[in-house]
Amino acid sequence: MLTAVFAIALAAVVAPLMTPKLDDRAGWILALAPLGAFIWFVSCIPVIARGDVLVASIAWVPALGVEVALRLDGLSLLFSLLITGIGALIVLYAGAYLSDHHHLGRFYAFLLLFMMAMLGLVLADDMIAMFVFWELTSVASYLLITFQHERAVSRRAGLQALLITAGGGLALLAGLVLLALAGGAWQFSAIDRAAVAAHPLLGAIMVLVLIGCFTKSAQIPFHLWLPNAMNAPTPVSAYLHSATMVKAGVYLMARLNPTLSADPAWGVTLVSVGAATALVGAVLAIRQTDLKRLLAYTTVTVLGQLTMLIGTNTTYGLQAFVLYLLAHSLYKGALFMAVGAVDHSTGTREISKLGGLIRTMPLTGAAVGLAAFSNAGLPPFFGFIAKEFKYAGLIEMGSMGWAVTVVMILTNALLLAAAGLVFIRTFLGRPGNFPRVPHEVSVPMWLGPMALALGGFALGAWHHWPETWLVNAAVQVVAPGAVDVNLYLWGGITPAVIASLLTVSLGVLFYGQRHRVRHYIARLRLFWNVSGDLIWDRLLKRVFTVAGVLASAFQHGSLRLHLALLGLITAAVAAIALYRVGGLSLAEAPLSPLTPAGTIGCLLALAGAGAAAVMRGRLALVAALGASGLGLALVFLGANAPDVAITQLMVESLTVVFLAYVLRDMPLIPGVGARRHSMRMFHGVVAALFGLAVAAALIAAVTLPLPGNIAEWYIANSYPGGKGGNVVNVILVDFRAFDTLGEIVVVALAALSAATLLGGGSGALSARGEPEFGSVLLRQGVRPLAALLLLVSLVLLWRGHNLPGGGFIGGLVAAVGFILLVLTFGNRLARELMWVPPAFIVGVGLACAVGSGIIGLLLGYEYLKGLWILPLGLPLGTPLLFDIGVFLTVFGSMLHMLQRLAGKGG
Amino acid sequence: MELLAALTVGGLAGIGMWMLLDRNLIRVVIGIAILGNAINLGVLTAGRMAGDVAAFVTATSTPDHAANPLPQALVLTAIVIGFGLFVFSLAVLKRIREVHDITTTDVVSAVTEEPAPDLREGSEVGQRADPAAAPDKEGGR
Repeated sequence: MLTAVFAIALAAVVAPLMTPKLDDRAGWILALAPLGAFIWFVSCIPVIARGDVLVASIAWVPALGVEVALRLDGLSLLFSLLITGIGALIVLYAGAYLSDHHHLGRFYAFLLLFMMAMLGLVLADDMIAMFVFWELTSVASYLLITFQHERAVSRRAGLQALLITAGGGLALLAGLVLLALAGGAWQFSAIDRAAVAAHPLLGAIMVLVLIGCFTKSAQIPFHLWLPNAMNAPTPVSAYLHSATMVKAGVYLMARLNPTLSADPAWGVTLVSVGAATALVGAVLAIRQTDLKRLLAYTTVTVLGQLTMLIGTNTTYGLQAFVLYLLAHSLYKGALFMAVGAVDHSTGTREISKLGGLIRTMPLTGAAVGLAAFSNAGLPPFFGFIAKEFKYAGLIEMGSMGWAVTVVMILTNALLLAAAGLVFIRTFLGRPGNFPRVPHEVSVPMWLGPMALALGGFALGAWHHWPETWLVNAAVQVVAPGAVDVNLYLWGGITPAVIASLLTVSLGVLFYGQRHRVRHYIARLRLFWNVSGDLIWDRLLKRVFTVAGVLASAFQHGSLRLHLALLGLITAAVAAIALYRVGGLSLAEAPLSPLTPAGTIGCLLALAGAGAAAVMRGRLALVAALGASGLGLALVFLGANAPDVAITQLMVESLTVVFLAYVLRDMPLIPGVGARRHSMRMFHGVVAALFGLAVAAALIAAVTLPLPGNIAEWYIANSYPGGKGGNVVNVILVDFRAFDTLGEIVVVALAALSAATLLGGGSGALSARGEPEFGSVLLRQGVRPLAALLLLVSLVLLWRGHNLPGGGFIGGLVAAVGFILLVLTFGNRLARELMWVPPAFIVGVGLACAVGSGIIGLLLGYEYLKGLWILPLGLPLGTPLLFDIGVFLTVFGSMLHMLQRLAGKGG
Repeated sequence: MELLAALTVGGLAGIGMWMLLDRNLIRVVIGIAILGNAINLGVLTAGRMAGDVAAFVTATSTPDHAANPLPQALVLTAIVIGFGLFVFSLAVLKRIREVHDITTTDVVSAVTEEPAPDLREGSEVGQRADPAAAPDKEGGR
């Protein structure tokens, strides 16, 4: 079973690859996949007919108990045979029909993808898997309807079909989830029917599931999309939109019939909606002049009748359902393919231009004749048995059944007239007025219709065969209880036979008076056809308008409004969180005493930032920011974080230099804050609220005891585990080295992208690059100072594992030293000193860091495992190599950015 | 100490947000730096400032009451990354000034509406039609 699904999926994958090479022969090869599956399913018939089921499953989301569980029972088997059998014929047919299309391979892929999804849908026992396949059929249908995507009509029809069926799919998903919760299982076969029947949400489940089924199976008022979907190439119409996909909704209703029919509303809904759909479909069908659209509306009719038959839940009704399902798939598939052949051959599908084709297309004509007889419900065809049982099933229902029977007699009479239009009008009588000279079509094109039409004839003539092997097993699945299946062509003079006679005579009358009938309907029903599509278009337009209004309310293009909203929401969230923890209480807070360095640092940081907030001079801004950063470094020092303090100090120096470099080319800042006073006030409030929220959240956090003892673990394990005395550095290069690796990659990427934006390059460097300071004294002094700084940076790197320092700090100090050189002597000298480009240093640094981890991997440890050797008493290890990588990356990144900035000079 | 630090973080964050909301991009960039500082101090404060000595150990002994090393390690790298981000925003600022000749937020100049260099009429892919508007291709050497 799984093999069948996978084989078709595989065929879908290889189809686009092999089709260009093999042309129309590809169809014969690709058809082997569905054909093989068909043969396998045929071989399963005896097992299933005995009443057994076959199961296969693979785990999908084991944590949620979701699995792709496949289950083959009578109903699934019937559908699987139709899908694979008709599928194989359609693949052949499509190869001939679209032989000159340049995207034939793509078409095969979509078609086989659909086939796989449809097969999965009818086989899946798990609801989630079923739903995924369900949606996949919608997507495949969209791709196939819009296959001729250069036509606007196709695109519109495809979108309409997708929106309607996928929208219904959403309702279905909700319905299935509720059903699984109510029934206590995710498998159709394991649902507790009694629990579902007694569940208070039964009504909701029913409505949601039915919306899904009605949209998929084109029931009123969702039937709009099906006739429009006829814009797809004919193989698609024949396969998806008559034989298989549109029956997915019917399938699900049948599958859930035993579970949900406990509620009387189920039957009433299905019968009334189904009957209404059938009548509307038949009335609209007889109006059509395009053969394909005519067939589309008769499909709507049949889908309505199928829905109705499930709703009857009588012995005959359910038998009629299975029979009709089978009969319709056979004759409608044949008719669609034949109409496609006629179109292909004559160049038109207009009834008024056709006629007398039996002379030039005898084989197609014979197939259409057989199928049309079955369609019309004439004996001894399979369609006749289906129709007899339908009437019998309705009459069994009682008074409501009689009322529906009258409607059905009318509907079937119209169907008969439609069948007459398809066969008699097209193939008999005078030759039509064809745009092209007609000819008989090639083998693959008449093979499909002929095979299906003969099948319809054979099943009716030898009806014991389907009764024994197919219908019985399927009916037992659909029926809530056991059902006695007994097919017959002639059961004596029963009310059903009388109804049948009425139908035929009325149908012949309708065909004879078809012009008058059409004229009458045209007066009555014109608005129906037009307004349905009009309402849809208007609805879609409204939806777009609303979406536009909503989107432009949020996507207004103002960065500042976005930010203000973000700040306000942050403040609101913090306020809610504070309210929930019961406000702030400082009474028992385990706070540490104020330190002088910390206090001064805090005040300096605040003062600097405050000054920056109100000033607009560029130099003043640089100075204020620098002061604020220095204050922060002081706080870090006061908090016993020497490494952090040094890093902050170095970064602050670099910040000032970089800022000064950029700001010197910037225009004056005209003013502080927004131009309008009210806006300025608003921004001030937002900023104040944001600051308050951050402060409050932090205070709420620090007034509680610190949970956990990670810090103690790091301190205790720093030397035994990481061979280093500087715990911060050991964390960086050993315990959490992988984090650090990610971080230096970020630094490197930021530097590379910033450098790109900053522009400049080798060309720009020679143009400018004069020294920034001309003082001779400075020049003499800076050289040894820079050399000293570079030396110091190496010392910092070396000792960083045990004392303050390390790769980050070392790299920053080295960069500061280099900046001194650049500022004093200009970029040219700096370039001469650097015998490799900084980007190269960055690369070497990253390679060192990554490589240090690989050493551990090679020796059989995990990645970035710290390993040490002690040659001559020197502690060398992979963390040191890693730290060298950090050093080089940071140093190279800073230099890279600086060189670009200084080189171009604006 | 934590209280003062938390208030400082709040103050810096508020000021940072105020500057981010400014109409001038230069002040926005400085706002980014101040907000980054606020967050760094916030992370360190969240790890408490209770330690008496820095987190340094020897082969034989560990301090009894050391500062929390984990937030220090986190903040140390955050400072360097924050600097990278700051320079990047500076670079964007510089580029905006060069291309659009403005330093104001929420303003779109006519250059933005022009099609990308490779989509312009008459210009081949990758060819620079206008050196002022075309992005600098030499950059990421």
